[in-house]
Amino acid sequence: MTHASTSPADSAAPAADVTAVESAGRLPLLLLTGSAVAWLILSALLTLVGVLELVQPSFLSGCAFLSYGRVEAMAESAFIYGWVGNAGLAVVLWMLGRLSGEPLRAPNWMVGGASFWNFSLLCGLIGMGSGYATAVPFFQLPAFIVPIMLISYCAMAVPGVLAWIGRRRDLMFASQWYAVAALFLFPWIVAAAYVMLDKVPVQGVVQAVVGGWYAQSLWALWMAPMALAGAYYVVPRVTGRTLPAYDSALLGFWLLLVIGGFTAGRHLINGPVPAWVSSIAIVSTFLLIVHYVIVALNLRPSFGGGGTALKFIALGVFAYLIEGFVDAITSVRGVAVATQFTYFDLAQTELALYGGITLLLFGSIYFAVPRITGRPWPSAGLIRGHWALSVLGLIVSVGCLALAGLKQGADLNHASVAFASIFDDVHVWLVGATVGGMLLLLGNLLLALNLACSVKTMVCEELFSS
Amino acid sequence: MSVPPSDPRFDRAAASDDALLNAHEAAVGPQSNDRAHYPLRPLILLFVTSGFILFAATYLNRYAGQYDPTVFNENAAPSRGSEQAVKIDPVAMGKRLFNSGGACFTCHQPTGMGIPGVYPPLAGSEWAQGSPDRVIRILLAGLGGPITVEGKTFSTAQMPSFGASGFNWSDDKISQVLTYVRQEWGNKAGPITAEQVAAVRAVAGDHKTWTADELLQVK
Amino acid sequence: MKNGLMLFLGLLAAMVIPWSAIVLGSAGELGHQAPYYDETDGVTYPLRQPGTATRGELVYRGLNCATCHTQQVRREEYGADVARGWGERQSVARDYVYRANPELGAFRIGPDLANLGGRKPTAPDTEDLYRLLYEGSGGMPSYAFLFDDRKIVGQRSDEALQLTGRHEAKPGYEIVPTAAARSLAAYLLSLNSTYAYPEAKPVVIKAGEGSK
Repeated sequence: MTHASTSPADSAAPAADVTAVESAGRLPLLLLTGSAVAWLILSALLTLVGVLELVQPSFLSGCAFLSYGRVEAMAESAFIYGWVGNAGLAVVLWMLGRLSGEPLRAPNWMVGGASFWNFSLLCGLIGMGSGYATAVPFFQLPAFIVPIMLISYCAMAVPGVLAWIGRRRDLMFASQWYAVAALFLFPWIVAAAYVMLDKVPVQGVVQAVVGGWYAQSLWALWMAPMALAGAYYVVPRVTGRTLPAYDSALLGFWLLLVIGGFTAGRHLINGPVPAWVSSIAIVSTFLLIVHYVIVALNLRPSFGGGGTALKFIALGVFAYLIEGFVDAITSVRGVAVATQFTYFDLAQTELALYGGITLLLFGSIYFAVPRITGRPWPSAGLIRGHWALSVLGLIVSVGCLALAGLKQGADLNHASVAFASIFDDVHVWLVGATVGGMLLLLGNLLLALNLACSVKTMVCEELFSS
Repeated sequence: MSVPPSDPRFDRAAASDDALLNAHEAAVGPQSNDRAHYPLRPLILLFVTSGFILFAATYLNRYAGQYDPTVFNENAAPSRGSEQAVKIDPVAMGKRLFNSGGACFTCHQPTGMGIPGVYPPLAGSEWAQGSPDRVIRILLAGLGGPITVEGKTFSTAQMPSFGASGFNWSDDKISQVLTYVRQEWGNKAGPITAEQVAAVRAVAGDHKTWTADELLQVK
Repeated sequence: MKNGLMLFLGLLAAMVIPWSAIVLGSAGELGHQAPYYDETDGVTYPLRQPGTATRGELVYRGLNCATCHTQQVRREEYGADVARGWGERQSVARDYVYRANPELGAFRIGPDLANLGGRKPTAPDTEDLYRLLYEGSGGMPSYAFLFDDRKIVGQRSDEALQLTGRHEAKPGYEIVPTAAARSLAAYLLSLNSTYAYPEAKPVVIKAGEGSK
């Protein structure tokens, strides 16, 4: 294994690892990161409201804006487009800038794009609360905001694409493949889904197929690449060693992109779609196992620990790998009969989006922000608290939802069990999931506090030192 | 400011960006000729991937319903044939026909009791449970004029034709509705087949509306 | 990977190939599916919804009922959907040809609604639905905001809900469904998938073949 040359001088102090990238892109990157964490808090709050309404249906039942269906749509959209969108772009654009060796170009496009993205997403959330959600999983955005979000995204992607095209060295590191994939594929996926669902709607059940393709592609072609771009960059930089299975990284990359789209029918198993749609999805989830294994093999140096970023990335990789196996196992029809439509599916989604994507993004953010601000995080205690609460909250939340789902699935498949009693059977696990949700929210509040202090310190020091 | 090594507030980078790119180049660029063998891990991954592709192909061959949009059950056997079709129950089909729009039930009522003085009953009717040739003729050409059923005479209404000159029902439909009537509401007569209807249609298919007297000539 | 153009074309192919296969493939097979003409009944199935039901579908979508309710019945030997009386057969694509949005749903926190209007032995009636929406039940929250709690002016309204116990209206007041509630109830009762299409016939599995 080759060792990358170490440069102790530029790694001992955050300020020394600041390159020209950060000086140009500091404001937009911090804007994206700050918005991301704000959306994460909002989404955690909305998720908490939702799970409280599950546990106690009379909670807020008089409020149409926060009725369960609408709150779930809002929480999901705030998480995916608010948190993952902003954080992923922040990580991707920062990393592309650094690997290009040049200052980030067109930072104003980032600021403009981010502002319009966040503002229209907020309008979208208000629209969902008012009843304009589209009822398409992962694509609940009201139709009227999708075009402007598309344009905002393209604006935000401009600096990234320019950094990639204008890179100083001709070769492309694995992070750059994933990052460029995320930048280009998102608008294409969204445009295709928008046309086929809103503009020229396809007939009947084909909408469900388009919705399923969109949700799976959003995961495999956008969210996972953004998270992996950050992880593939941070791990070798912190450990100083080449990634162990790097020659297989290319296979892992293309497998994710190509096979990911074929899992479109993953949640339509034995539904009112022809059998071939779900059969293709089932075999594709199995083939994707190879991708998950390649990622785990490559990122396993993070398991050796050594700092905040690697801790988060290690747990993220572990969750990502587990989720891949669980996805394949539960897609088998004999297993799906018991886990479909239950809280187990919800637990799986949470493991993937929170355990996988979010923890990987946390790792990248903990690595990147000190270099963007030029100073370390203000509080070690807040970091340790965030870590502990994230781990605990994830285990409790995912675990309780999974157990609730297994019980619910078993009950649903026995006609002798009255439907009304299913609610009582799973109630205790839902209370556990609520506790998990509160822990996660608390952890994220600690992150928000840390970030706010960091930015405030930076602003104060620079304003008063000049 | 400098940060001590194990401080969680800052992760020191042991490699620079350039080092990262150098490592990439070393890993995927032209390799030295020292290695006389293929590295094991990529080979294993290649075989595993091929294994999954083979599994996928086999699974899809059997369980993808031949990509047919009418196949919703993945267990459907590849060949399409008569074993896929569920046998049609003539009584159930006959009941649907009896109760379909504008047909039997409007006059004879869903209970088969008819309307006293206007429409004769079918429940317990000696005509309905009687000779198949008679009932088939009634349906094919209709019946007009007075008829005595269960001791009561009905002369006001006329039964329409369900054959070529009227509703134009097929042999299957006529046989099914007759089979239904002949076993419903306590009736205990045997079923009628489509072949019997076809035979009668061949002999007497173009007869005008029957009268009761003419029918009584038929055995 | 050195060549940026190759990466770009690869990304394009990576998106287009699965999309063409699955999405365009499905759209080609089912995108123009016609309703089924039944000779005996002389009508095409599925039956079209009345106008209030179409408005009700918008209410259903606006409240995002699909978050808790599915509208897809699984076949008899796969799960207990048929045994629970949620449907007589597997839902097929043709059941949804007239829907603006199939609303298949992904979770069964509440029961399946695909055949609510066709349940045997009796489908719920409008009164039952209003009461359920107003009071809630077990895990289902109450949607009282779909109803008006108003002073009785003159005669009591025909549509006023007959409620007892703690949900009963105050003296001199009545609880009346709004237009949203009325159209939602009409939509729910229009959900009927009893007709047996040829493609919905159960498949006879010969001995020795198993399911995966």
